[in-house]
Amino acid sequence: MNPYQEINERVAVVATYRVADSISLCYPAKMRWRSRDISFVELGLRHPTTKGNRMIHVFDVSDGVNDYRLEFDAEALTWTLVSLRGDM
Amino acid sequence: MPSEALNHSMPHIMHIDLNSAFAMAEQQARPSLRNRPIGVTNRISKRCCVIAASYEAKAIGIKVGMRLDEARLIDPGFIILESDPPKYHHMYRHLARIMQSYSPVVEMKSIDEGIIDFTGTDEHNRHRPLEDIGYEIKQRVQSEIGGWMRVNIGIGPNRFLAKQAASWHKPDGLDTLDSRNLLEYYRQIKLTDLFGIASHYEARLKAVGIYTPLQFLAADADMLRRRVFKSVVGEDWYKRLRGYEVDDQPGKLGTVGRQFVLDIVGNDGPALLSRLHYLCETTARKLRYRGVDARGILVWAQLQSGESWYQRRMYKTTFYTNDEVYRRALELFEQRPKTSPVTAIGVTCYQLTPSQKSQVSLFESVNRQAWLSQAIDEINERYGLFMVASANALAGHTHVKQKIPFGGTEYFKLLLG
Repeated sequence: MNPYQEINERVAVVATYRVADSISLCYPAKMRWRSRDISFVELGLRHPTTKGNRMIHVFDVSDGVNDYRLEFDAEALTWTLVSLRGDM
Repeated sequence: MPSEALNHSMPHIMHIDLNSAFAMAEQQARPSLRNRPIGVTNRISKRCCVIAASYEAKAIGIKVGMRLDEARLIDPGFIILESDPPKYHHMYRHLARIMQSYSPVVEMKSIDEGIIDFTGTDEHNRHRPLEDIGYEIKQRVQSEIGGWMRVNIGIGPNRFLAKQAASWHKPDGLDTLDSRNLLEYYRQIKLTDLFGIASHYEARLKAVGIYTPLQFLAADADMLRRRVFKSVVGEDWYKRLRGYEVDDQPGKLGTVGRQFVLDIVGNDGPALLSRLHYLCETTARKLRYRGVDARGILVWAQLQSGESWYQRRMYKTTFYTNDEVYRRALELFEQRPKTSPVTAIGVTCYQLTPSQKSQVSLFESVNRQAWLSQAIDEINERYGLFMVASANALAGHTHVKQKIPFGGTEYFKLLLG
């Protein structure tokens, strides 16, 4: 019933950093997942959360067709594709 | 006060309300869900309830409180998502920050609404009309939180009228209610459109011949106090309807508790007790977080047969540790009827008093309990909630999902750990 597929896989991400933006200074631009390069066209929302004392930044992004939830672990400096919605 | 006297002072209260907040937050985060009927629930199951619905869902008749299977009868493609408290907390903090940039007196009423009191802020806001500031806030919400976000804004001489104004033209409205248009507004609405007047109060008003908001406004203060509300609440309504402030007093903390609609069917066994134990541990954690001890405890259960059961008890001494709350709750819970499976359970602590835990007891065993409780809280604050807990409660923790607090914003920190 949940339209989202849980993925929870480590991914490689290229991010851009902007000097000033009210929504987010950091934007994931593209990621490599299962040998495919996926470019993002929209950042829906960026919000922080915690896992214990670890700061996690959650990025909800879209490639124009599918929605992806990426998490950046600010302690381990890793990107994880947590879930996606769409026809992959 | 003459019966016709409205408050003619300049409106200085602004009420801001995020439209269908949780559903809109999900649509903001996930562009493919925009312009579609979606809803949010706490835990997805066939029997789960919609706790927030998008405007597209509301437009086709899907309402908050409706069960998922009922919503899918209206639209088989209706999408339901599990709630994401950190996301909503982020929006709440952003909204609060925007509001605080206009006045030092900002009061968040819940996770998706708050008020700004503009008294004495003319200089800071460069003498701009509140309507202009309202439109600027709408624009800032879109540019700083997200382009899909919409807010309703109401402006009035008191909190009540500002809230009424915010609900006048949904979604994305901005209205002012004051002595100039108040009568016309009351002419357009029903008694139950007034916040605080539900069916129970409506019946009382109708019993004395008050059928419309205009008749309610025309009613005598003494009559409202003696015959309708039978308390000072009647005088409060007399003032509130006219735009005088009566809702600026802080509320008193009366009870602390948790409840859970069960994901299992049964009336016995360790699974049920582990869920009860989890509710007790989180209730005790809330007591400590609010700095209060309890003297009374109430445990209730809803049975599949439709019956409900509760048992409560007052103690001579106060309590606040996980173990104390669970032992007391379990003693009461064992008295429940076992004729039918339990569908929901809850624990509530009451008779709350400021915490006495800084006082060292003469009895070593009491001190050890307090120190253990303090140590567990410190570990959990550092490493995340429920890193250390009773083994029995840990099983419940994996099944009971934290709920979104609609009423207040006091427990956000506990939700996020």
